[in-house]
Amino acid sequence: MVWARFVAGRLLALVLTVLVGSVVVFLVMKSAPGDPAVAALGESARPELVAAFRAKHNLDVAWPLQYGRWLAGVMQGDFGLSLTVASDRKISGLIAARLPNTVFIGLMALVIAIFLSLIAGTIAALRRGKLGDTIATSLAALGISMPDFWLSYVLILVFALGLGLFPAYGFTAPGVSLTGAIYSGFLPALAVSAPLAAVFARTLRTSLLEAGNKDYVVAARSFGFRPAYIFVHWVFRNALIPYITIIGLQIRYILGGVVVIERIFGVSGIGSLMVDGAFARDYPVVQACAVVFLVIVLSVNLVVDIVCSLLDPKRTR
Amino acid sequence: MSANGIPSGLRRRDFLGASAAAIAATQFPFSTDAWGQAAPPLRAGITGYNVINTLDPGKATLIPEFYVIWALYNGLMKLDANSNPVPDLAESVKADGNALEFKLRKGVRFHDGSEMTADDIKFTLERLLDDKFASPNKSKVSALSAIEVPDPATVRIVTKEAFAPLLTFLSNCRTGTQILSRKATTAGGDDFGKKPIGTGAFALKDWVPGERVSLAAFPGYFGGAPKIGTIDMPLIAEESSGVTALLGGQIDITSTAPFADIPNLEKNTAITVLKQAGLNCRFVSLNHRKAPFDDPAFRRACSMAFDRNAMVRAVLFGEGVTSHGLIPPSIAYAYGGNSRPLCTFDPAKAKAELAKSKYPNGAEAEIMTWGQSWWKRMAEVFVAQCNQTLGTKFTVQVTEANTVFQRHKSGDYQGSVWGWLGLLDADEYMYDIVHTKGWRNFYGYSNPKVDDLLDRARRELDQAKRGALYKEAENAMIEDMPVLPLFVSNVHNLMTKKVQGFKQLPYSNWGDQFANMSLG
Repeated sequence: MVWARFVAGRLLALVLTVLVGSVVVFLVMKSAPGDPAVAALGESARPELVAAFRAKHNLDVAWPLQYGRWLAGVMQGDFGLSLTVASDRKISGLIAARLPNTVFIGLMALVIAIFLSLIAGTIAALRRGKLGDTIATSLAALGISMPDFWLSYVLILVFALGLGLFPAYGFTAPGVSLTGAIYSGFLPALAVSAPLAAVFARTLRTSLLEAGNKDYVVAARSFGFRPAYIFVHWVFRNALIPYITIIGLQIRYILGGVVVIERIFGVSGIGSLMVDGAFARDYPVVQACAVVFLVIVLSVNLVVDIVCSLLDPKRTR
Repeated sequence: MSANGIPSGLRRRDFLGASAAAIAATQFPFSTDAWGQAAPPLRAGITGYNVINTLDPGKATLIPEFYVIWALYNGLMKLDANSNPVPDLAESVKADGNALEFKLRKGVRFHDGSEMTADDIKFTLERLLDDKFASPNKSKVSALSAIEVPDPATVRIVTKEAFAPLLTFLSNCRTGTQILSRKATTAGGDDFGKKPIGTGAFALKDWVPGERVSLAAFPGYFGGAPKIGTIDMPLIAEESSGVTALLGGQIDITSTAPFADIPNLEKNTAITVLKQAGLNCRFVSLNHRKAPFDDPAFRRACSMAFDRNAMVRAVLFGEGVTSHGLIPPSIAYAYGGNSRPLCTFDPAKAKAELAKSKYPNGAEAEIMTWGQSWWKRMAEVFVAQCNQTLGTKFTVQVTEANTVFQRHKSGDYQGSVWGWLGLLDADEYMYDIVHTKGWRNFYGYSNPKVDDLLDRARRELDQAKRGALYKEAENAMIEDMPVLPLFVSNVHNLMTKKVQGFKQLPYSNWGDQFANMSLG
């Protein structure tokens, strides 16, 4: 019962947040300067053409009605038609083509980042103040401070143009070839993973050190348990909660923060779609991307909450 | 969208509805699947752009849209290396009073297998003229008054008065006058821009919005089947990524290149850099209705007060040529050279001219520009050098491009860097920009002698005589110095050594060359 109520409550909150968020995005887009009809048809377009365009794209009625119609469409998975980045194409189709690319690169980056951060964070915590800690924390500082475009070009220069191990440009969609996607997605995923790994490793190091100083760990030591046993059962398990929470929070970055990397490596992802839409005043595209972002970010956070509750049952109360 | 990302409609043989049976009976059933499978594809990266909204020439406005359109269609004419219109779908053309009579090439087929006739030409041009269709390219045909079809192989295009630039406007460039099939275009309806059908050497095979366009060789092309079977065109938003993709072997040729990288790329023996002065003009636009640029002597003084060669080095990294007029060198028939004394840096003569002007002690003026890149540097170099030579107090005012354009149109400015890209005919560079009635003449310039020469040039159908009139008009214009010509920037293509047959043209051409290309 406790579990069912917990999950149901969170789901309801998710739906409400998406609704409120979509209204806000809608109003921001409406109040932004510029007219999509003018953007699409040009400044010299005649009034009757502008009117026809507005009618076709549902822009000729009061905004609550516009929002209502738009929401009704979204409920059925119909985000409307793109105005200026791929005119007259279904936005749901554009998102369906691009979301898998972003998710695939994001997952690859997450796997790389988690792998690297588990090693680096653990070494840093266990060897606190020693050489291992210095190396791991220095690498983390580097990972956070390197600009993404710079790192991308360094990776291309070394691994693509220099060693010829990976392609310098272009991404094979996972739907076309899974191995092709892993091969062509490795360098962009590595570029995306660098700041993630750094943040994860730092968080893990801090929370491991914190957990290691808890009274129950001191007590366990005094009982004479082996250090490795103590580390796995009391220190590591408790340190995982902030670590997993941080991972959940970085989903936002993976979806929308990697536009520059997507551009440099030629990955057509959803972040680039949203930025192109914003530049070309393709409002429905921006709105659709925003809603998709919102749903994904909130869903991931819900999953993170559930995982954390499993690790620490006190949280469901 | 089907699972493999190919617009599903393209594969449906029945998408032309009732005419499907007729198509199936012709020599070329419209499925690009079987066309040109054997040879490896040409990977031609469209660099610096990633939006293609339509492949309907009548609706297209963006450069990358035309890149593809040039491969899918043909015009009645095409431009040669000197920007002269030469026949393409036309076999010959002759002037007849206010009309141009085109004899059409025989045996030209559209991608759906149907044969091109004079009626298709009539359909294409009337569609552009139709108010309901609302083509952004209507101005290219606004001189037309009638399109007559005396027989299926002849078209007579009648204009209100003789209009020489029309031949340029009917060529396969950024014109929108590429020839369509009446039947296929009507059947395509609103979706024609997504499922284009033309007479070009290549047909659309696949198109993923924002990502790539693929073309398949058209075996029935009137110039013979192309050597390359498939063209794969990734849309590469960043020019610098185009360079890394070429160096990394992911593409074979680029449509542009970043100016700053050219000197280094030219040293790289693995690639070929193609470059030449493009079809564009950059100048300082001066408002004649406001002080201090209301005085021709002051404008002449400014023109001689800065070094255009230094500007080409500082702004373009040397990738361009100085301009001493408005017509770029690639419009060879009308080019007046770049050795006019009034446009040559000469501090002594500049000061002498200043002394004769209404403002012998210099003057203040705001020079508008926008952005962070070369447009800003253009204004900075001009202002700094003028102030140094003449003791003027010019300042740079940075705003954004749209504002600059609006203030040009409303006449609310003193001076501004400005320029035009992609104009094709000498008439557009001269009539539009400096004729009293020219729509790009924002500065209030009016000289009856220049107007008369430009009016005559419009009616002169002999290209050599027409060119001479433009040269004369430019000479007359430069005495008034209505704008300060600066430079013409280069167009670039990068390609690997195995690419053969690409001939760069000054209008930054692209798909029009695919028919001649091969991979060695």
